[in-house]
Amino acid sequence: MRPKIIVLRGAGTNCDIETASSFDYAGGKAELVHINKLLSGEKKLLDFDIAAFPGGFSYGDDISAGKIFAVKLFKILKDFEKFIKSKRPVIGICNGFQILAKTGFLPENSGNKQVSTLYTNDCGHFIAGWAALKVNKKSPCIFTKDLPNEIQLPIAHGEGKFIIEDKKIMARIVKLNLNALTYIKNPNGSMEDIAGIVNESGTCFGLMPHPERNFFSYHNPDRPASMEKAHFRSGTGLKESKAVGYQIFKNAIDYI
Amino acid sequence: MKNCEEQISNFINLNKRDLAGLNDFFGWSLNALELKEARDYFKKIKRAPFRGDIETIAQTWSEHCKHKTFSGPVKFKYRGRTKRYKNLFKETIVKATNKLDKSWCLSVFSDNAGIVEFGKDKKWGVAFKAETHNHPCAIEPYGGAETGVGGVIRDILGVGLGAKPVLNTDNFCFGRLDSKMPLPKKALSAKRIFSGVVDGVRDYGNRMGIPTASGGIYFDDGYALNPLVYVGCAGIIPRNKIHKKVCSGDLIVSIGGRTGRDGIHGATFSSANIDEDTSSAAVQIGHALNEKKVLDALLKARDLNLYSAVTDCGAGGFSSAIGELGEETGARVYLEKALLKDSKIEPWEIWVSESQERMVLSVPKKNLSRLKKILEEEDCEYCVLGEFTSDKKLSVTYNDETVVNLDMLFLHHKLPNIEKSAVFSDFKVSNKAPKKPKKNYLSILKDILAHPNVCSRHSVISQYDHEVQGGTVIKPLEGKYGDGPGDAAVIWPHASTGNMKDFSGFAVSHGFNPALGKIDPYEMAMHSADEAVRNLLCVGANIKKTAFMDNFCAASPKDPKVMGELVRASEGCYDAAMGFGAPFISGKDSFYNQSKDSKGREYPIPLSLLISSLAPVEDIRKAITMNFKKEGNLIYMLGMASCGMGGSIYNEINKSGNNFISALNIKEAVKLYGAALEAINKGFAASAHDVSQGGFAVAISEMAFAGGFGADIDFENMAKEKDISEIELLFGESPSRIIIEIEKENEKKFLSLIKGLAIKKIGVVKEDPLLDIKFCEKRLLKENIFILKDSWKRELL
Repeated sequence: MRPKIIVLRGAGTNCDIETASSFDYAGGKAELVHINKLLSGEKKLLDFDIAAFPGGFSYGDDISAGKIFAVKLFKILKDFEKFIKSKRPVIGICNGFQILAKTGFLPENSGNKQVSTLYTNDCGHFIAGWAALKVNKKSPCIFTKDLPNEIQLPIAHGEGKFIIEDKKIMARIVKLNLNALTYIKNPNGSMEDIAGIVNESGTCFGLMPHPERNFFSYHNPDRPASMEKAHFRSGTGLKESKAVGYQIFKNAIDYI
Repeated sequence: MKNCEEQISNFINLNKRDLAGLNDFFGWSLNALELKEARDYFKKIKRAPFRGDIETIAQTWSEHCKHKTFSGPVKFKYRGRTKRYKNLFKETIVKATNKLDKSWCLSVFSDNAGIVEFGKDKKWGVAFKAETHNHPCAIEPYGGAETGVGGVIRDILGVGLGAKPVLNTDNFCFGRLDSKMPLPKKALSAKRIFSGVVDGVRDYGNRMGIPTASGGIYFDDGYALNPLVYVGCAGIIPRNKIHKKVCSGDLIVSIGGRTGRDGIHGATFSSANIDEDTSSAAVQIGHALNEKKVLDALLKARDLNLYSAVTDCGAGGFSSAIGELGEETGARVYLEKALLKDSKIEPWEIWVSESQERMVLSVPKKNLSRLKKILEEEDCEYCVLGEFTSDKKLSVTYNDETVVNLDMLFLHHKLPNIEKSAVFSDFKVSNKAPKKPKKNYLSILKDILAHPNVCSRHSVISQYDHEVQGGTVIKPLEGKYGDGPGDAAVIWPHASTGNMKDFSGFAVSHGFNPALGKIDPYEMAMHSADEAVRNLLCVGANIKKTAFMDNFCAASPKDPKVMGELVRASEGCYDAAMGFGAPFISGKDSFYNQSKDSKGREYPIPLSLLISSLAPVEDIRKAITMNFKKEGNLIYMLGMASCGMGGSIYNEINKSGNNFISALNIKEAVKLYGAALEAINKGFAASAHDVSQGGFAVAISEMAFAGGFGADIDFENMAKEKDISEIELLFGESPSRIIIEIEKENEKKFLSLIKGLAIKKIGVVKEDPLLDIKFCEKRLLKENIFILKDSWKRELL
């Protein structure tokens, strides 16, 4: 049975198709669902095994990134709480991470309150490029399992600076190794160089970088070096040159 | 005003002078002959026009919509001979396409964009289009750029039954940022225009989820008052969705944005020179989110076959969109049904408003309820404006009031044409040996690397989401450090078609060099086409299926000299297309890029021709980048270095006294490129990079510092013209040259491919990060590649 993935979209979501393709390729069965269909009851969240919030500019990122989408979700908050509690994997990529932060699902807290935000980059504008990232090998994150210590993923965001006012919450994130991904060279001013965080059970993961854009090794700007490395690892030649992005999606599928 | 409205009611009796006065007052941009044609039409049908009638005529007949200069008759005088063109565009650019008659061209010059075959199973086409949005960007850079991007995306959404945009391109021309040119009052500085335009492209393109991954930026004071903003878009379309057909009885449905008073007279405004008192109210206001909703809803509806035709609302708004769709049938429009964002709007303004993010569909009545459901799911607003008829009339009302009532035949086929005169005289050219420079070669190289037309564009590129859709496999920034300047973007659209096991993609690049045009517009066209092809070749695209797009920008066509340059460049386009076997599939032109300051001095732009090119990449896994890959690899030079420094960056910095442009030898180039393509396809080449602005020294520096390797070079063995100088070898920009890195173990096989061609070994890649260039053992320059990179990697923004 291929696990069923709900890829949630709304007006302005724009990484939905490639995110769905990535899950499909990794062995799942992804379905693009407009938030309006969850709100109307036409689709039910709990019918799915994995949930993904893809990147983009949901509702134009008016007010602040991901805010309007998060507000829309409040109407079906209970379903999401159940989904996360039952340890079904949830991934929020870029705008999806911003949504998870603004709903209060991440960082995890008892009242689902928004305790963090992703604020305008220190440079003041949108940035796109490849970032080197450190994988926290002690993290409970199921998505980053078996990844190398250091990976590369593209980033593309205007509001990616992860900030938390409450020092205790941040201390807890670091102590419990919930900071699954950190920047080696901080591009946006994030506290603790955080690029991605996870909840305690390791199943709800939010990250600013885009794993769907480093899915195959030939996505890397340093080709064919990246491809040779991939061939060497998998030993299967041109066709199977999968990169770390693939592994992140595959991990979620394997978990189910 | 009152008086003028009275004059409209007396329109059929007005004389030439009164007509001209009326035209100026209302801003129609119609010429005397067109006004007379309109007057005679109403005389014949024995009634006074409604204001909406003449507004419709003005939009439909505008330079912007009809391209009447380029597709009109021209009398051309050159070297004592006179040549007459009945239709310049058809007799040059379109003629080449027709003659080449390529089976992989699926739709050319007939729709909102050109379409060529794409992919291995013949299931897809790729549509390509570029537009300019110059006039709006001159007075309101941010809004002008945003709506320019939005507009060209709608062209792709409106081609056939709608293509899915997968790539945006942008090419800009601005005044020099360090310009000392005195600007007239109210004119914006180049810096302000530059940053506004980049912000606009960024904010709109990123929100649309379309990668902006290909383009260029060019600085010259000729653009200080008239910046050029070329925006392009490519999209993929299923082969069975390429044709549209409006049927009588279909409903006219507008989807997307609401209609307001922004952008009234945009089309007519861009058909005139910009004056000091030009108002920014003619510029539209963009809202990317609305267009994203349109995109999502439209493609869903397309795949369910819910409509029979679609086009975008661009220049001229409803008047153009509905007027064009209904050309063969007729259309009946009820303007009171339009969704408005402004209650204080006149009916004729609703009709011609260029409010953004609107598409017009022709919808069979039985499909309306299903279409509505999709639009509502996607939060996309819509209104049913009327229906397509069979009376071949354009009838528009607002409640009971008639706004327009015209015959389609008159509107679309009675535009009178005036023969324009064109003259060209050859520029005085010298090909003596370049003067000895004051500085040494190394400091000249550093100056050129730091030149605004050569230096790194990372500060602009990194603001664009150039990898959204997960398909930008060859990026504008590439190499070991992710910052080398790519020759062409390679797009693999299958992360968004869902068929991730199909590795077919396509490459897009550009050729642009107005500095050559100032000396020889014919060679400018040839060299630009050559550069575009070479860029495609350097990533390994199949250049035998290159499709070109022409995009001309010029000053006022009323000046015979401007027209003369245009004719020469068009002839160059024809010869380039025939020579490379590469048809033009779409084109666009923008005139009147000319401004007057308060003292009445004219500022025309130099003739500017952007040639964009697209070619398939059969297996994107085999595409190559431009950075050096491995120590010990061999460096080969493809093509012959010829004399001449005309139009070079070198000449801008050091006056060489030589302004000769070496002519492009297409026959030779085609042979060279064929061999290079085979070498790349067979995996012999590790990298390739074209020699263009700044010459050889710049190209080799870029390959070195993007890869983190040094190189030892000696010109001794290079194919070169007799008596060529060191300056020309280092910094000359003669055409059809590529530097190619060959893996040592493949050298023998490579050599067997290139027998008898001007392809020579000139050096070797070194681990040591030093670029060392000699000529017969004599050292010309030597420098650490990271120091060279420091000169090049400037923050433009």
